[in-house]
Amino acid sequence: MRRTGPLRRSRNWLVRVLLMPAFLSPALLQNVLADGGSVDKVYHPYVYQLERELELRSVVQDDDDPVRDGTQTWRLGIGQSWTDRWFTELYVIGEKTDGRDLSVRAWELEAKWQLTEQGEYWADWGLLFEFEADHDIDAWEASTAVLVAREWGRWVGTANLALIYEWGADVNSEWETRAATQLRYRWKPGLEPAVELYSGEDTKGLGPVLMGNVRAGGRRQLHWEIGVIFGLDSHSTDQTYRALVEFEF
Amino acid sequence: MRRLITILCCGLVAMLATGPAAAKPPIVEIEIRNHLFIPSELVVPANTKIKLVVYNRDPTPEEFESYELNREKIIVGKQKAIVFIGPLKPGTYPFFGEFHPKTAQGTIVAR
Repeated sequence: MRRTGPLRRSRNWLVRVLLMPAFLSPALLQNVLADGGSVDKVYHPYVYQLERELELRSVVQDDDDPVRDGTQTWRLGIGQSWTDRWFTELYVIGEKTDGRDLSVRAWELEAKWQLTEQGEYWADWGLLFEFEADHDIDAWEASTAVLVAREWGRWVGTANLALIYEWGADVNSEWETRAATQLRYRWKPGLEPAVELYSGEDTKGLGPVLMGNVRAGGRRQLHWEIGVIFGLDSHSTDQTYRALVEFEF
Repeated sequence: MRRLITILCCGLVAMLATGPAAAKPPIVEIEIRNHLFIPSELVVPANTKIKLVVYNRDPTPEEFESYELNREKIIVGKQKAIVFIGPLKPGTYPFFGEFHPKTAQGTIVAR
């Protein structure tokens, strides 16, 4: 999210966000306008009824560029499913940059809508809506992402294609697109290896990820993910480390 | 490099989004009663997608869960849920109820 540029507000953002799915096309990936920081996590399209979770995830950049190097983004979230189709989560987002301690940067509300039953069709589909408000400056972000997953035996492929609109007095109003894909091998519940690919204007990254679930009795379990994404071009961060823990109860 | 990434992303999306139209899958029914799956063993045809209808006769929620089947579905008390499984290779696939895992257990046998 750039903090410079002309001051311009958009009042028809809601219409644009609602129309996002109609515009989502892989061709948009060639014209991404992302500001980087695309490495985060890959969402599956499923909602589990009666689920509540606490989530903590972090992304740390390691780069020759001293501005990027050491930048940390933290998300702490609490989520709950409302039906077998809808799940919402509220995040507080913290950021630590060069010369600035970790502090609250933004708040984010996320809603996931599972569109199809798992296994019913050739692929499983969902939509993810996100709304982010910056804590300190006049900057807003809304996005819609198509979530799709497909099984091939023990292999599971997942793709997220997002169309994002940023606006506010302190940022350039602009559209962005981001893509995140994951190929995961369901080896055993406690350990599943995966490869993830991220694409945004300033981020083209590919790297290995490990994840798993640890049961904690009853319906409680801990889900964890850890990985490193290597930049694939000179614009991308050299290495981005990502980690996630979710306590589901 | 950007073109390569784009091609990879588009390829994966295309693989995910396209596929042959499938015939209606056969329906298999199972009940949850007194925290037990009844019957506890279901025999289904191998290499065929199955529409499993799970009736929860108990007043409390239960879950149909199986890592082997890659399925996890809550069934609220006195309700039913649909779980699509397969096509399965011949074999035995265990499942259990996460709310009462000691009693709510069963297997699906694909032949």
